[in-house]
Amino acid sequence: MKRLSISAIASVARKEFIHIIRDKRVLVLLLILPPLFTLIFGYAFEAGEPTGVPALLINRDQTERTQRFVDLVLKNKTFTWKKAPPETTNEGDLVGRHVQAALVIPAGWSESLSNGDPKPLPFYVDGSDTNTADALTGSLQRSLGEFQLGERQVMIDSLPEEVFELGKKLPVEVRKQFTSAMSQWEIKPQILYNPKSRFIDYVTPGIIGLILQLLTVTLMACTIARERESGTLYQLMVTSLRRGEIVLGKIVPYLAISALIILIILLLVAFHFEVKLISPLVLAVVCLLFLLCSLGLGLLISAISRTQTQAIQFSVFFLLPVFVLSGAFAPLEHLPPIIQWVAEFFPLTHFCRAFRLVNLYHAGPSFYGIDLVVMLLGAVVTFVGAALLLKRIEQ
Amino acid sequence: MTGPVISLRGLTKCYGRFEAVRDLTFDINAGTIFGFVGANGAGKTTTMRMLCGLTRPTRGSATIGGADVWRKRHAVRSKFGYVAQRFSLYRDLTVVENFRFFAGAHRVSSRKIEERINQVLSLIDLEAKRDAPAGSLSGGMRQLLSLGCAIIHDPPLLFLDEPTSGLDPVHRQQIWDLLYDFSNRGVTIFVTTHYMDEAERCTEVGFLARGILLAKATPRTLIHSFRVRLLEVNIEPVMPALVKLRDIPGVLGVSLRSGRLRVYSAEPERLVERWKTQWPFPDLQFKGERWVEPDMEDVFTAYSQGYDAMIKPIS
Repeated sequence: MKRLSISAIASVARKEFIHIIRDKRVLVLLLILPPLFTLIFGYAFEAGEPTGVPALLINRDQTERTQRFVDLVLKNKTFTWKKAPPETTNEGDLVGRHVQAALVIPAGWSESLSNGDPKPLPFYVDGSDTNTADALTGSLQRSLGEFQLGERQVMIDSLPEEVFELGKKLPVEVRKQFTSAMSQWEIKPQILYNPKSRFIDYVTPGIIGLILQLLTVTLMACTIARERESGTLYQLMVTSLRRGEIVLGKIVPYLAISALIILIILLLVAFHFEVKLISPLVLAVVCLLFLLCSLGLGLLISAISRTQTQAIQFSVFFLLPVFVLSGAFAPLEHLPPIIQWVAEFFPLTHFCRAFRLVNLYHAGPSFYGIDLVVMLLGAVVTFVGAALLLKRIEQ
Repeated sequence: MTGPVISLRGLTKCYGRFEAVRDLTFDINAGTIFGFVGANGAGKTTTMRMLCGLTRPTRGSATIGGADVWRKRHAVRSKFGYVAQRFSLYRDLTVVENFRFFAGAHRVSSRKIEERINQVLSLIDLEAKRDAPAGSLSGGMRQLLSLGCAIIHDPPLLFLDEPTSGLDPVHRQQIWDLLYDFSNRGVTIFVTTHYMDEAERCTEVGFLARGILLAKATPRTLIHSFRVRLLEVNIEPVMPALVKLRDIPGVLGVSLRSGRLRVYSAEPERLVERWKTQWPFPDLQFKGERWVEPDMEDVFTAYSQGYDAMIKPIS
């Protein structure tokens, strides 16, 4: 291929830029939606644990001890309790009562605790979304554990003197074992990589990637298809422009606008959500490679589509699995191996991984280097593919 | 201004088993206004697109200025301007922005761009619309703009694919005046049309039908290639006459012109003689006959309908 002329590329870029700014509706979309999405996603994912879940409490055991448990349960921030009278029946009808869980304390529960045969507490919980049930049950279990600990202390305090006398006669080892067994055993978590456990820190690359992928792929996909639809592609092809000049000229304005959008999003997450950005330069490289890869994909779609409608349809079909399977919002490792293997083909997967390795794990290039290489490879393959496909339309 | 600018040698384009253009071999000399005439689907656009390097010839070859139009298509592109059949400029760009883009795309040096744009604007008389979006222009102005964009790099050769179809007579005249102007400056013009009056304005005409070149000569030569005289008769009422005359043996075809009927026949004198002695249609009134000069439409009809008996070969 002969040398490409900068001024020819600039001509195409200028024209393409005019297309973007003349289309006021798309321009507004480009400038308003990304920060808006960032805010929405940011707030949507800020609270990781459920709080204030509406729940029903039916107490059929009116004793002092049960009342202590009820007081403890009412303090649990996970739930917003509605009390129902003891004679309430049909307690499993969660939907009918507009609650997500129902706790029943059966009559004689307190007594069963004293009798050496503690009755389990029926807890009805909505399992439809697969996550909530575990979280709610766990939270309630913790309240119950706390109550049990408190009750044990009450029991120990009220033991007759003889027991302690008897205890003193036991060998020291047994006494120590007993003390140990009586206290709560604990885990001391050392949370690394995202010490505040904030979801926004984790999901930032997902938000950037999602928005950028959506915009770049669809917009880019339309560019050549639009020229084909309006007949201007032939007009372009009888000029002295080379394919490379057309392709590069089309990329430049979208690259500039995408970079601007990334900047806006990053400033927003950095200052509004106080996400710390480690080594901005490396992140810039990660973003740039991801952009090139996405633009290349858009271009490839553009080259195989006859019309803009087709281009949009191709884009949507490509983007749908990407959003779900790329690990943008949930760890990829939780997915089955075959899906993980498929996900490796999506640029968004590598972008999110590299971004997190840099920003959360503070990892060195030896960890995320492979992702950069894959994205670079993706960009090269898509660009070359698009250029070859464009060559084919000439004939 | 000597020697062929465009040379076609057995140029052929097939789409599957369909031969859209068959074995075209001819030359076009510098400074010619070559009118490529044919019905819709005759292969005019396909030929032009092969010459512009937009479509790969199936067989044969063509050269522009000695360079192969397909293999050297990138080099050839600076040598011509192309006005497509459909309006294909950027509607959201203004007139000047379109010019600026195509000037850049044709590698007009940046120092000369503004000067050249003003020159072309005044040439096509669109100065008043320089900042109007191309999409807001009327059909005639759009065509002028397309022409302007095609000549922005001052090419020595211009391809126009039906540049005046759908235009009002005023804009048609304006386009043709511009073409004469370019021709006068030595630009070679290759224009397709299906208007016969436009064919007469060309310095050379090629007839194309079903992908085959039927004739190529100056309009005068083509008109003189009629070996017989052309008969025009005045019969009333005219419409039933048109239908009935067509079926008479010895009549190749009939066409209606300004209320009279032109009768295409290899031996028109014998027809007239016979009709004068015995008029075969009692319900039609024969009011007289005269001999007329054939025009381009008559010639094209004769060639495209295969009235070979009326035509002598062009040497």
